[in-house]
Amino acid sequence: MNVRRFSVLAILVVIALVLAACPAGQSPAPAQEAAAPAQEAAAPAQETGEEMAEEAPAQEAAGPYAEVDPTGVEITFWYQHSRQREEALQEIIAEFNETNEWGITLVGEYQGGYGDIFNKMLNVIGTPDAPNLVVAYQNQAATYQLADALVDLTPLVNSPRWGLSEEELADFFPAFLKADVFPTFGGARLGWPPNRSMEVMYYNEEWLAELGFDGPPQTPDQFQDAACKAARQPFSKAVGEGSRGYELSIDASRFASWTFAFGGDVFDYEANQYAYNSPEAVQAMEFIQGLFNEGCASVVTERYGDQTNFGNGTTLFTVGSSSGLPFYRSAVEEGANFAWNVDALPRLTPEPVMNLYGASVSVVKASPEEEVASWLFLKYYTSPEVQAKWAKVSNYFPVRQSVAEQLGDYFAENPQYAKAFDLLPYAKTEPPVPGYDFVRDLVREAMAAIADGADVQSTLDQLNEEANQILAEQLAE
Amino acid sequence: MSTAAPAQARKRRLSQMELEEQLTGFLYILPATLLVAVFGLFPIGYAFYMSLRRWRVVDRGFVGLSNYQKALGDFLGAGIFVLGFVLLVVALVTWDRARGRREVDPIRRIGLPLVLAALGFLAISQGWERMYGEADRRFLNSLPVTFYYAMGSIPIQLAIALMLAYILFQKIRGQEFFRMIFFLPYVTPVIATALVFRFIFNPRPTSLANQILGVLGLEPKEWLFEPRPFLEVMFGLQLEGFWSGPSMALVSIIMFGIWTFVGYNTVIFLAGLGNIPRDVYEAAEIDGANPWQVFRHVIVPLLSPVTYYLALVGFIGTFKAFNHIYVMQEPSAQNTVITTSVSIFNTFYKASQFGYASAQAILLLIIILFLTYVQTRIFGERVFYG
Repeated sequence: MNVRRFSVLAILVVIALVLAACPAGQSPAPAQEAAAPAQEAAAPAQETGEEMAEEAPAQEAAGPYAEVDPTGVEITFWYQHSRQREEALQEIIAEFNETNEWGITLVGEYQGGYGDIFNKMLNVIGTPDAPNLVVAYQNQAATYQLADALVDLTPLVNSPRWGLSEEELADFFPAFLKADVFPTFGGARLGWPPNRSMEVMYYNEEWLAELGFDGPPQTPDQFQDAACKAARQPFSKAVGEGSRGYELSIDASRFASWTFAFGGDVFDYEANQYAYNSPEAVQAMEFIQGLFNEGCASVVTERYGDQTNFGNGTTLFTVGSSSGLPFYRSAVEEGANFAWNVDALPRLTPEPVMNLYGASVSVVKASPEEEVASWLFLKYYTSPEVQAKWAKVSNYFPVRQSVAEQLGDYFAENPQYAKAFDLLPYAKTEPPVPGYDFVRDLVREAMAAIADGADVQSTLDQLNEEANQILAEQLAE
Repeated sequence: MSTAAPAQARKRRLSQMELEEQLTGFLYILPATLLVAVFGLFPIGYAFYMSLRRWRVVDRGFVGLSNYQKALGDFLGAGIFVLGFVLLVVALVTWDRARGRREVDPIRRIGLPLVLAALGFLAISQGWERMYGEADRRFLNSLPVTFYYAMGSIPIQLAIALMLAYILFQKIRGQEFFRMIFFLPYVTPVIATALVFRFIFNPRPTSLANQILGVLGLEPKEWLFEPRPFLEVMFGLQLEGFWSGPSMALVSIIMFGIWTFVGYNTVIFLAGLGNIPRDVYEAAEIDGANPWQVFRHVIVPLLSPVTYYLALVGFIGTFKAFNHIYVMQEPSAQNTVITTSVSIFNTFYKASQFGYASAQAILLLIIILFLTYVQTRIFGERVFYG
């Protein structure tokens, strides 16, 4: 009897200890509570603005950050760059720390890849452990903003004291700046672009000539013609097995690129809804399916297998990021060693429509001083001189048009990069909405099914329905 | 009075001794209990708490069972579905108990389990249909995929492991070497080996898997890129729905799973074989049993506790399997390799729906607990402990 009583007692003690270890008042919503300090921290900035509006209407135009003094502030920056790019970025940071007139100190920290940073951010949002600046794709920034974690940069960009002049703003490629304006968050600017990449078509110039073409295809029909001929007539210098016209790496960005080229979009920005079943998207996917049906296209079966096959002279066309240019160059030099180049995707539109992408840098809500200091670094990071240096090392595109003047030698050494650079004015972007990562998976599945012969219209109808369902869930209060 | 008092005092002293013993015992287990509570039970409790809330990056309030409803679609359908499984279990238990009892009416002995099983299958089918209309199909589709993965992995890997263990137990040369070789896949980092298997099961005609098919006179296959059912690809059998079986891509992943865990199972079986007394083998041989009879009637029954343990742990493991499936999945396989664990991960990290992902995780926990109970109830009773 006693043994039983003591057993019960002991179990109760253990339960009490466990319960004591998880205090009821704190456990229900740590993230929400943790988010509060950030909101409180952000409040002074707004209050300062309000007080200014009341006390000195003349200064209203100066913006909410006009009176903030960032002198001596220390801030952190989480990035994903490694090796040469990290070295260059650290140099840029060191120069900023030495030269900025406010004595701001920026500490740059490598925090793993994009996914690692995203996962870490989800855990530190709203806590003192969050960085001031963080590399984020637009959909990641949108997810952070679900917790109201990021600073809308519009007041800082337009601030007469801290911002950019109209002339400076006009120097930025318009599509680059537009990519970080979030329609789903009332048009807030939640990031600032330090660089971008773009989807381009890689083609084998020599093989095209052997097939009887005097230049890259400009229309889908020309593309199909060349791809089908290549599937039947191998390249004379090929050093690998097989002969492929077009090698498709199944990816949501490929879907968007082809849809853009057919004159459509994957998102309806007026309705704030996905448009994966738009007539142009359906037409684009029917075109892709046609290539597969004719035996003129195949799916990439190994990671970066399309680069390897292209380099070996066994694939005529691929579509991929311009950031892959150095890797394509290596693959060609180590492979069949032929003349190659990049161009816009074959299109139905009068002008090229290029899919531009790349992570921006977001400013995390903190004290007004830290927010201003963070912006000042971004301003420095995107100044023409720094951009020229960064573009050469990173092989990304600079975000300002005037940087081209400083890249003459680089363009001469890298003609493919120069060709792609010329296409930047035609860029547009994929949707900056929360949950896009998940939707991208659905797009990949739909593309795979289409390549496998599924009915295009019904597949895209279902995809669109699911994608919009996810979007609605993300945006619901 | 005078004799009762010392007796009571002695009893009180004994109670105090018992109390001290109990307290000492509890103090010894207290650290472990606390660790399990904090790092094991608390997360489960907190996941359950999150599952009742709308939690997307931040907590947005209590939503009751709506996350569960979203996953299952229709609670009545889910109830009928579960009832179907319960009926199957009851049918199996009824059949098992009546088996061999000649005094029981044949209709009751055979007819009742058959009727129960039929009702069970009907309820499962009806329940699934009701759920499927309203549920999150991505989550629901992941359940049969997980089931295929478990059923395709465990029986085969146990059979191969038992066979290998039996061979290794025969005092062959290099026994230690082979034991190490078989165990190696289990200790090799799964991400590295999964990446290697991606090359082995590549659709290229020159991939290792396709070269082996070539040696057998078969056409190259798409392997990890093939969403069509294995039975259709390999044998041309076109079955419908659940009965069409796992996709070719999932079978490729199952083969990797088998390769990884066979060695571990072999080592455990070897330990089990070592525990069987020599006398039993000798007695069987004296009685004229041939090697097959020794294996079938001596080794298999005496190894049943080990088999039971490995099957139980294996089922739990396959239902939780994640890493290699995540590494080996290809978009071309569409959603035919998305197991429940992968589905939960996608909901959590890609869709940032923490509350809903927690509800899915709790449902997976319930399924695992149910299957563990069923295994214990049905197969646990058949274990022969000597």
